[in-house]
Order: sequence, then structure tokens, then C-alpha cells
Amino acid sequence: MKLYEHEALGSIFKKYKIPVPRYVFATEMNDAVSQFVEKESGVVVKSMVLVGKRGKAGAVKVVSDKSKVADVVKDLATRDVYGEKSIGALVEEKLDIEKEFYLSVTYSTKDRAPAIIFSEHGGMDVEEIDPKLIHTHVITDVRSVYPYQIRQFLSNVGFSDKDLLRPLSEVIVNVYNAFVGAECRLLEINPLVVARSGDKRKIVAADAVIILDDDASVNPAITYGARSAQGRPLTQREQDAILIDQGDHRGKAGSYVELEGDIAMMTFGGGGSTVTAETAIEAGLRIANLTDIGGNPPAEKMYRISRIILSKPGLKGVLVCGGTASNTRIDVTLGEGLAKALDDMKAEGKLDKNLVWVVRRSGPEYVKGLKMLHECFERNGIRGEIYDSQLPITEAPIRLKELLIKHIGYKPENVG
Amino acid sequence: MKGTVYLNDKTGIVVIGATGREASQVIKESEALYPGIVKAGITPGKGGSTELPVPVFDTLSEAVKDPKVGKLLNTALIYVPPVSVLDAVMECLDNGIKVLYIITEHVPIRDSEIIFQEKERRGAIIVGGTSLGCFVPSVGRIGAIGGKDPSVAFRDGGIVVISKSGGLTVTTAEMFKRRGWGTYMALAIGGDIISNTTYSDVLKQIKGDPKVKAVVMLGEPGGAYEEQVADLITSGGFDKPVAAFISGRFQERMPEGVAFGHAGAIVERGMGKATDKISRLEAAGKKYPVKVAFYYHDLVKAIESLGVPRDFEDSTAEHVKPLYSTI
Repeated sequence: MKLYEHEALGSIFKKYKIPVPRYVFATEMNDAVSQFVEKESGVVVKSMVLVGKRGKAGAVKVVSDKSKVADVVKDLATRDVYGEKSIGALVEEKLDIEKEFYLSVTYSTKDRAPAIIFSEHGGMDVEEIDPKLIHTHVITDVRSVYPYQIRQFLSNVGFSDKDLLRPLSEVIVNVYNAFVGAECRLLEINPLVVARSGDKRKIVAADAVIILDDDASVNPAITYGARSAQGRPLTQREQDAILIDQGDHRGKAGSYVELEGDIAMMTFGGGGSTVTAETAIEAGLRIANLTDIGGNPPAEKMYRISRIILSKPGLKGVLVCGGTASNTRIDVTLGEGLAKALDDMKAEGKLDKNLVWVVRRSGPEYVKGLKMLHECFERNGIRGEIYDSQLPITEAPIRLKELLIKHIGYKPENVG
Repeated sequence: MKGTVYLNDKTGIVVIGATGREASQVIKESEALYPGIVKAGITPGKGGSTELPVPVFDTLSEAVKDPKVGKLLNTALIYVPPVSVLDAVMECLDNGIKVLYIITEHVPIRDSEIIFQEKERRGAIIVGGTSLGCFVPSVGRIGAIGGKDPSVAFRDGGIVVISKSGGLTVTTAEMFKRRGWGTYMALAIGGDIISNTTYSDVLKQIKGDPKVKAVVMLGEPGGAYEEQVADLITSGGFDKPVAAFISGRFQERMPEGVAFGHAGAIVERGMGKATDKISRLEAAGKKYPVKVAFYYHDLVKAIESLGVPRDFEDSTAEHVKPLYSTI
């Protein structure tokens, strides 16, 4: 889960003693901001959004004329940045910047270890920095990380500002400790600045990007509230889906994401769901939603997620697809859960009879489960085909495409 | 030895977290399929329980000292909740278990890292987290892979299936079985960021095994583990046919949301994306017997075109008819 900058500063940077500018966060112009601005010679105002490259979108502004602060805060606290609505403004002291570094910590799968990434040439997009000027220090023993090791690393890569060796190495260790202690996947500071303060110099984090491990020992959704991984608020159906798994650990049915298409995807198992969706897209189907159901959920969970999946407006086809389950009962999930949802939706007049269905599934009790689903199709007038694992899993979306073209004149996307 | 280092005729399994719902079901199924392969179970507080077909102990230390089963235990199957996995792994390593499977999903990455570094220091083999287990039809099974009736998907043969996704491991074995190729070993390595056993780790282990005719690998975006296979093959580290399918190309076409870190992109520049993995493997395929399938079901054609002989007859008709049709 990605954090907003003010969350990272307030809850993590502070705790791990990573130096940051003086700041105040506000959702609108208020007295706290006025009082803050009063004491500063100039301020930087930033929109609080999760997308990157804010500066290029005009969502980071330096304000020296204090009379203009109120207007800038009002604008940046509410504007859209690349389509994402700002949730507030961060108002910071304006630093007297001497130079800008790049610093981050993340896991390197190449080394299967945390890696500290540093460059003396920060400030710009890291992709634009010459790779030769970016240096990586892999932490091969997570039990002990000391500033002297960081100084050795900086020395080895020819770090040019010897006076900063000690303070910088200490900040980097604090950043590393924050990365590990707060269970991050990524902690990035760009720029990490050297700022003049009277005749002294100090190291200050002028930005904060944190992505927390969603599997951390304390679920970040509990601390920071659930948020969509797509940089947009969750839709009502997505929120409803999350509730399905709350307080009930039997199987998983609440992982649901909406897109702008017309084919509902009821897919099972992480890997199976991915390849099925992938093939559907390659075949030119426009996907309306994605689910990843697994771990043998009870019929009640299947009932609820089925109704959510099928309630999205504008659907033309439905793909129910999974491999050969090891655990998940096909009679319970499809024969009971899905079938009951269809029966009830039909009775409520909410079932679209024009939908075209393809089902492909196998696993425990699949003979019984697919028969039950077929009976449900028959009694509700649902049109489609039902397969077991004789049909290779990824041929199912291709079959659906053929049926859609034949029966409702579906025009697939032209995928390059 | 019959089998591989991951599962062989000497394998004796101890299940950690044995009396939980999933674990107890797996123990019962394993006992029915391969009687005696599971030797013991551990659940603190349930020592002496007779609810399972194997003896249950409070601690692993008691189990390894047990005169009947103690000396037979060499492989641990871990089914504890995510935050207890690190503890379970340390209990196993400290009690001399050298092959471990972590079935648990959602292990915190920080714990995974500590586990990986500890495993390296001790020279153990750990598969997972998020593994579904291992299947060697000629020897036995570890974990739930293949469910109650694994004969649907598995028949003895020469293909090694290695997959991050557990479900796809079985689905793939089944697809090949229908077309005439059996499985020598299917190993679900899990898709965690810090993977204790990677594709190349497996290839190095099975390199000289004459029973291996070909490898089918199923990859996913993220990490550099698929790319490492391309490197291993091009450096001469594995020379048998490899058919690969990498899922996730479509994610690259979706609107970019909170995309994963720039930093990740720097450490692994030109790696991690499905298309990066595909192009690296395709490049290896110019000189070595490597084929990347465009669609997942093209894996069969890939193995065929690499000249891997069938283990038995192709049983599927050209055009599969639906079981039921209402259209």
C-alpha cells in the first residue's frame, strides 16, 4: 500500500529520525497554515496524491509572496493530478538547497536481499539519471547494518563530499531501519537534499515515497484505511466485495477490481485468474471486472461475490473459469453459491437474459457441481456452454469470444 | 535415491501446524495416497492427540527425539499463520530439518528475507512461501497439490513443471497428461518476492537427472527469477528443452496506477516485466532449446516442437465439445 507523503512524514520518518522540513498538512486553508506561513520566509506547497511526477503536473509550487499562499493551498488541496483527486496540501518550509541526492531502499530479487540505492545526482526522475551514477549496496546480513558499512560503500563509489560522510551514513542507516521497521516494500527519497542553514549544512528528506508490504505483520489497511491500488477511490462494488472476506477466513472471494469493459470475469486462483484474463484481453475481449477466488470459500461468499460481479452495468458476456482445483469444492462454489445468486437475481428481475456464458472448471466434486450449474442455466434460461478440464483453461475465453460474435454480434477489440 | 532432492523415496514429512483445517485434511489425504509418507505432526498444546493418522507432538524437538519416528523426519511442511512462519522455520532449522516447504501465503516480506538469509547460512532447501507443495508421481506427494484425486492431473513421465502459481502447476500437468506427456516432478515454488527456491535453483538440482526429459516453467511478472533462467541456460548451466509461459503481458497495457517502485526498476533495469522476461528467454531460444508460448495452451505445441517424445498416447480430441450447452 502506498502512503501519502504527509502520512510517511508523520508516522514513519518522525519515528526513525529521518530529518524532514518543517511542515503542516491541511485539507483547506486554515489558521494553522496561516500561523505556519507567518514564521517562514517562503514555503513549498504540494498536492497530496499517490501518483508520482507531481512537479511536472504543476502540483508542487514554491510560494515566496505570502499573500498568495491561501490561493495556492486552496488550488493544490483540491485539484486533480493526472486524474487523481488531491486529498489536501502539504505546506513545507522552503529549503536553501545546495545539492540533491537520490536515495531509496527496496528488495532486489536478483540478490534476494534489501538494497540501498544512492546517487549524488538526484532530483530528476530516477530513470533519467545515467545508470553509471547510480550505486547499489546490497544488505547481505539483515541482522546488522551500521553506518560504517554505509561509509565504506559511499567511499567505494567515490562519494565527493567528505564532510557529509558521517551525517549522511547515519541518515541512510535511519532510512534503512525505517524500511525494515515499518515493513516497507519501497522507501524512496528524491531528492534527499543538502540544505544551507546559516553557516551549517544539513541533510533533509524533501520528499517521501513509501510503499508498505500489504502482508506486513500489521495490515496497513488497518492503520491507514483501505485504498485502491489504482490511484482512484474504490467503487461501491469494490468496497462491498472487501467486506465479503472480513471476519471470515474460509477461502477468499473479496478480491475484486473494476475496469471499463463488458465481459464479467469470475476467475479462480491467482495464476489461473491471471492467465485467463490475459488470454481474454489478447483475444480482444473487453474486461469489466477481475476477481481472484480461491481457498475453498463457502457458498455464502460465492453468492455475494457472484451478485457483485453480475451487477455491473453494461455486461455482454460472463466467463467462469478456473483450473483443476485442489481444495475448492465445485459443487459448493458453482452448484450452490453461484446458482443461488442466479436464481435470486432472476426472481428479482435483475438477471440479463442476453448474457452469453462460458464455464470451464474442474476440481473436487466438479461432476456434481457442473451438473447443478447446468440445471440452474436451464431453469433460468441462461445461454452458454459448460466445460470441464478437457478444454485447456485458456481456450475458454477464446470459446466465449466465438459465441459472443456468433450470437450477439460482439465486436472484439483489435489487439496489436 | 529415487526422486529429487525435493521429494524422494527417503522423504519423511513432519507437518508443522498439523491440526489446522487445511493441514489435517492434507495429512489424511496423503496417508490415503502414499501411506506412511507423513511421519508426524506438530501443534503446540495438542501433543498426544489421536485425531490424525500420525502421532502429534507439542514441539519438533520432542518429535525428532521420538524413538519410532524421530530418525525418519527430514522434510517439514509448514502450515502455520503468516506471522508464525519465521518461528516455525527457525524451529525446523534448529532441529536439523534440511528440506522445508512453506505453504502459508502472505508471509511478511521482512520475515521472508530473514528466512532466506538463515537458509543460506545453514545450507537448507526451502520451497515457498506460497508453495502448494511437490508431486513426484513415482515417489509421493508433499502438500495438497493435485487434491484428493491427483491421478486426474498426474501420471508418471518425463516433464518437470515449475510454477509460481500452485493452481497452474496442476492445471499444466493435466493439460500435458491429456496430450501424452507425464510428470516427473511438479513443484510449486510460490510467487513471493523473496523466493527461497527459484526456477534456476531447481534447474541446477535436476540438471544431471536422467529422468528429466524437459522442463515446463510458468512465470509471472515481478522479480528477476525468470530472467535468471535465461542467464543459466545461455551460460551452459542447463541444456534440456525448456518451454516457458510468462503471464502478465496485459498488465503492461492497463492504465498505470500506483506502479511499483522506480527503485525496483533501477535495481532490476530491464527486468521484472512480463515482456522483459519473454524477450530474455526468447533470446536464449535462438541458440538453446528454449521456447516461449504466446498463449498458455501453446505450451503443448512448444514441447512438441522441441522434439520431446510423448510418454504415452495423446487422448484428447482435436475439438473439445462442451459437457453441457444451452446456447
